[in-house]
Amino acid sequence: MSSGYAILSLDEVETTPHRDCELIPVRHTLGFRPAGVNAWRADAGGRLIPPHEEDSGNEELYAVVRGRARFTVGEEQADAPAGTLVFVPPTVFRTATAEEDDTLVFVAGATVGEAFNAAGWEEIALAEKYRRAGRPDDGRAIMEQLVMDRPDYWASHYNVGCWEALAGNPDAALQHLRRAKELDAAGESTQYFREDSDLDSLRDDPRFEELLG
Amino acid sequence: MNLTHIDDLDRIELPEGFVWRPVRRRFGIRAFGTNAYTPGATGQIVEEHTERRFEHQEIYLVLRGRVRFTVDGDDHELGPGELVFVSDPSLRRGAVALGDDAAVLAIGGKPGQPHEVSAWEYEFLAIPSLREGRYDEAKRLLHEALEAVPGNASTIYNLACAEALAGETDAALEHLGEAIAADPELLGAAQDDEDFSSIRDDPRFPR
Repeated sequence: MSSGYAILSLDEVETTPHRDCELIPVRHTLGFRPAGVNAWRADAGGRLIPPHEEDSGNEELYAVVRGRARFTVGEEQADAPAGTLVFVPPTVFRTATAEEDDTLVFVAGATVGEAFNAAGWEEIALAEKYRRAGRPDDGRAIMEQLVMDRPDYWASHYNVGCWEALAGNPDAALQHLRRAKELDAAGESTQYFREDSDLDSLRDDPRFEELLG
Repeated sequence: MNLTHIDDLDRIELPEGFVWRPVRRRFGIRAFGTNAYTPGATGQIVEEHTERRFEHQEIYLVLRGRVRFTVDGDDHELGPGELVFVSDPSLRRGAVALGDDAAVLAIGGKPGQPHEVSAWEYEFLAIPSLREGRYDEAKRLLHEALEAVPGNASTIYNLACAEALAGETDAALEHLGEAIAADPELLGAAQDDEDFSSIRDDPRFPR
């Protein structure tokens, strides 16, 4: 196989828990850059896609590859057998549960009018999995790669800061968060700094309060 | 809820033998490229092509059935939940369905750039009407394409084809000239294109 392409089975990707769901981190695994791409897997009755709105501004397309899902989008519910495509604009609430065992849903998303930038939430999920399994160095390697790939992007540093906060390393966390603030000229991070539960362990630290301004 | 099934998407059968199922267009998605494909008469499911022109990275995910992809000369037989990621736009890729029920979902875009809707989506819409002799419809679709992606050489060229086939010599020559000015490589293509048989003997035909 040449290096300009790759073959991947979604079933062979290392999965990770994310908000009580099973995430298949496709973009992270492939290094795909034009859009965010991932997949989710669940058995009958299980939560397939975490309840959320896309505060990133991404519009998203979900494709049911296998099994059967029940989607909730806004106030509506719909049955979604394999072959169903669901489009969700960024600000609309969505979630899905599996109706059959081994249901698999693929998703792609990006923001209209913007070059796609991976913020790294999938990397946090993977790094957390490793940290909890007693492999913090493997987790840190994933997060540091994120900053190496995009050293000038505030969200890369912000997410490394989040992970270090979760890992109980306030000094390293604050160093990355400070860098995120410096790079975030547009103030996109402000709401995250105020509300992100990943940062709760820092909230009593006077250095963090200083960052909040 | 904005939802559909791949079998309920429009079917646009193209001369190369594959059936284009417009996903991006169905939902009005603008942030990335996405389309589905099912096999046509020849079993082709993904057109053989490179992405040199748009420099897109692409993912082809098999949603259903079995599909044999050929990428850079290598064959790979894939089933549901398996995908090909082509990161190098210069690699030639295409696929043949190994059963009538196959379906492939494609996701693509140019890294580091906001997505722009590809002009080919509009051109492909016009091809069935062009091949079936419905020239007014083909012209209408190509004019719509030019409103969406102004100045696109290939779209203007196809418009000239439709006009030549419809016997509108003056309009065809004008648009052919415009297309070649925008992309000089089209001059060569025009010399052998059967669509221009009716206007090739005109002294104004570009050489």
